[in-house]
Amino acid sequence: MNFEHRQLDNGLTIIGEVNPNAQSTAVGFFVRTGARDETPEINGVSHFLEHMLFKGTETLSALEVNNAFDRLGAKFNAFTSEENTVFYAAVLPEYLMDVSSLWMQLMRPSLRNDDFTIEKNVILEEIAMYKDLPQFEVMDQARALHFGSHPCSYSVLGTNESISSLTADQMREYFARRYAPNNITLACCGNFDFDNLCRLSDQRCSGWKAMETVRNVEDTSGTFKSQHVANENLVRQHICLLSPAVSMQDPRRYAASLLGEIIGDDSGSRYYWALTEPALAEVASMQCESMDGTGVFYSYICCDPDNTSRVLGVVQELFEELRNNGISEAELEAARNKTLSALTIKCEQPMGRLVSLGFNWVYNHQYRSVKEDVDVVHAVTLDKISNLIETLNPGKFTMLSLGPKTI
Amino acid sequence: MMTQKTDIYQLKNGMILLGERLEHVLSASFQFLLPAGASLLPEGCCGAGTVIADWLFRGAGPRSSRELIQALDRLGIHRNASPSIHHLSLSASLEAGNLSEALDLCADMILRPRLAADQFELSRQLAVSELQGLDDDPRQKAMILLYENFYPDPLGRPAVGKLDDLKGLPFERTADIARKIFNPSDVIFSICGNYDFEAVKDQLEKTFDRPPHGGLSAQPPVMKEKSYRHFPTGGAQVHIGIMTPAPLAASDAYYEMAAAVSILSGSMSSRLFTEVREKRGLCYAVGANYKTLKAHAGIACYAGTTPDKAQQTLDVILDQFRILKNGISDDEIQRAKVGLKTSLIMQSESTYARSSGIAADHFLLGRIRTLDEIREKIESLSVDSMQECLRRHPFEDFTVVTLGPKTVTL
Repeated sequence: MNFEHRQLDNGLTIIGEVNPNAQSTAVGFFVRTGARDETPEINGVSHFLEHMLFKGTETLSALEVNNAFDRLGAKFNAFTSEENTVFYAAVLPEYLMDVSSLWMQLMRPSLRNDDFTIEKNVILEEIAMYKDLPQFEVMDQARALHFGSHPCSYSVLGTNESISSLTADQMREYFARRYAPNNITLACCGNFDFDNLCRLSDQRCSGWKAMETVRNVEDTSGTFKSQHVANENLVRQHICLLSPAVSMQDPRRYAASLLGEIIGDDSGSRYYWALTEPALAEVASMQCESMDGTGVFYSYICCDPDNTSRVLGVVQELFEELRNNGISEAELEAARNKTLSALTIKCEQPMGRLVSLGFNWVYNHQYRSVKEDVDVVHAVTLDKISNLIETLNPGKFTMLSLGPKTI
Repeated sequence: MMTQKTDIYQLKNGMILLGERLEHVLSASFQFLLPAGASLLPEGCCGAGTVIADWLFRGAGPRSSRELIQALDRLGIHRNASPSIHHLSLSASLEAGNLSEALDLCADMILRPRLAADQFELSRQLAVSELQGLDDDPRQKAMILLYENFYPDPLGRPAVGKLDDLKGLPFERTADIARKIFNPSDVIFSICGNYDFEAVKDQLEKTFDRPPHGGLSAQPPVMKEKSYRHFPTGGAQVHIGIMTPAPLAASDAYYEMAAAVSILSGSMSSRLFTEVREKRGLCYAVGANYKTLKAHAGIACYAGTTPDKAQQTLDVILDQFRILKNGISDDEIQRAKVGLKTSLIMQSESTYARSSGIAADHFLLGRIRTLDEIREKIESLSVDSMQECLRRHPFEDFTVVTLGPKTVTL
C-alpha cells in the first residue's frame, strides 16, 4: 500500500492509496456539503442536487450518462448525509481513467429545468418511501428534536413542502457556493496509477473556480427533550435516543466508537443482555456518529408498544450501572476484536477502503493506513472509556418514540 | 483474473467441504448450509427455523448462553444464523487466525446446542416480535407475500414464520427439529479466504464425526396459478411485487436470462430504471432480481409508489417485461456483459460473497463453476442467443401482490 497526495492550484485535493494486488479500483468525489449547510427554505437541496448530477452536462444527457457508466461495468452511486455528498464508482482497473473522466464532467452539471421537474417527483417518492419506514422516520424526527436550532437538525431528504417549493435557480445558487474545488476531495484506491489520475484531473478540473466556503461547526449538547409521537398505521414502538459524543476531529472518537459497540452491538452488548436476550425488544443498537465539530451517540430500539415504559426503565438502569461501575476488560477486548475483524473484512475490497480514506482526509487532512487504525484501536484502554462515560454521560439523552398510540 | 484454486472434499459421513483460497487477505468467511430450511419444516411449524437460529446461540456444549456469546465475541466473529427456503445457514466472517477456535464453537452450536426450555420461550417471543415488526416494513412484507403467492407450497413459505404457528409452537417439537438439523449427507460447508484446507479438513473430520440419520423430509410441492392479491394497509405508498417464471440455474438458458434481468434492471441505464424512474418520475425504488431455488425460479420485481401513480407504475413495468422479446440492442448486451463480468470479479474479492457463491453452486448445480467458466459463458452471449432464449421463455404470466391504500388492475 502506498499513499499519494496532490493539490491543484484551485484547491482540488487528490489522494490515493495504491494497492497493486487489488482486482478492482474505487474512485470517489467527496464534496463537503450536506443538510447542515442548508437553510429551512432550501432544506433537501444537497440530496436533490446529488440526484441532479446524474442528469448530465451541457453535452451529455441523463441517458448518455447512465449508458456511459454501464459500458464501463461501473458499480456506481452517490449518497448524501448531514455533511457530505459522495459520488463513487468501483470498476476494473482498465476502466478507471474513463470512469474518473466521466465523474469529472458530471461534477459540472447542466441542472436543466425539465430534468429538475421530473426528478422532483422522484425525490417526493423517496420522501414517501421513508415515511413508510418508521426505523428511518424515527431517526429523522429524533435528530430534529435533539439538535433543535443547530443546523444538524435538518433532514437530509427535506420535507414535502421544502422540496415542492424549491426552484432550479435556488439549486444552481447552492451548487455555485458549495461545489467549489477547494471544498472537494477526489479519492481513489486499489490498482491504479496516481500520476495518470492527476494528469487527468489537471486537464478536466483545473478550470473550476475556487470560492470561499463556510460551515458552522459549533458543538452542541442537544436539547435533552422527550417526546412520543403517535401514528396509528404503526404496529411496533420505534425509539431513538441521542446524546452528545465526540467529533471527527477528536482523537477520543476511537474510544467512543468502542463504547458504542460495548453498549449497543447487536450481540453480546449491554443492550443485548438487557433488552434483546430477554426478548424485551427485538432490536436494540447503539453507535457513535462523529461529525464535523460535533458528535452523537444514536440508539435505536424496536419493541412491543406495551413494553415501552419497561424498556425505557431498563435503559435508564443500564446507564446508571455503567456510570457507577464502568465496563470490564473482557467487554473492551470483545469490542476491540469485533472492530478489528470488521476492519479486516472491509479491506478485502477497494470499495470498502474508499470511504475511510476519503473521510479521514475531508475531516482531518490526514492519511491513516489500516495498520494505524488497528494500532489506535489496540491503544484504547479502560481508563479512556471510563473518562468518556464520566464526561459524556450517555445516560442523559434526547428521546423520541414513534408508535401506534400516545404514551 | 487471478488464478483460482478450489478445494473439494467429502467427509466420511457424507458432509461436503468446499473451499477457495485467497492469499492476500487477512480474513476468512465460512458457512454451514444445514438441511432445515422453511420448506422442510413439518406442518404447523412455520417460523421454527427463525426460533432455532436464535436458540442455537443460547448455550452449546460446555458453555451457557452468556459464555457462548462471550467466546464468539472474544474472537471478534461476525456471525449470522438464518433460515431460507432450503437451508438454515450459519455463517461467519473473521480474522483468519481465529478460524480453528471459531469452527469448534460452531460445532458445539450445531451438534450440542443446549436447547433449554426457558431460552426457547425467549427465542420464540423474539420471532413473534420480528414477524409483527414486518408490518412496519411494508416493502419487505410485500416481497414475502409475493414469494408465498408465486412459489409452489411449501417453497413459498415465509422463513420468518406465520403468527398462528409461532404463537403455538411447542417446545418439544421444535427441540426435535433442532436435533435433526445436522444430517451430514445433506450438509454443505464452504470457506473462502486465507485458510489451510488440510487443517480445516482434519478438524471437521474429527469434530463433525456423526453418522447420517433421516433428517427432515421434504413434502411434494403443490403448484400455484398466477394470481393478484391486494393487502390493504395505511401508509404513504403502494408497494408492488411482481414475479414471473424463469429457467433454473442449471438450465442452458441461465446466462441469457441473467443478462435479460440485467438489461431490465442491472443498473441505471436499464429499461425499468429509465422508463419508470428517469422518464416518468413514478418511483424512487424499482428493481428486479433473478431468484433461483433448486427446482423453481422466477424474476421478482419491486416498486414502491404513491397511490395515484400505482396503476401507471404497474402498467409500465409489465409492458417492459413483455416487450423485451421484441428486440434487444447490441449496445444493451455489451453493457450487460461488462456489468456481469465486473460483478463477478468484485465478488471474487469478497470472502463472504465467494463462500456463499461456491456453496450455492454446489447445492443448485452439484458442482462449482470456476470464474473462468462463468466469464466464458458471459462472453459468448449474443443478440441472437438472447432473442432465442426470450422466444422460448417469454414473460407472459405474472403473479402480483400489492400492499397499501389502493388496489391496481392487471
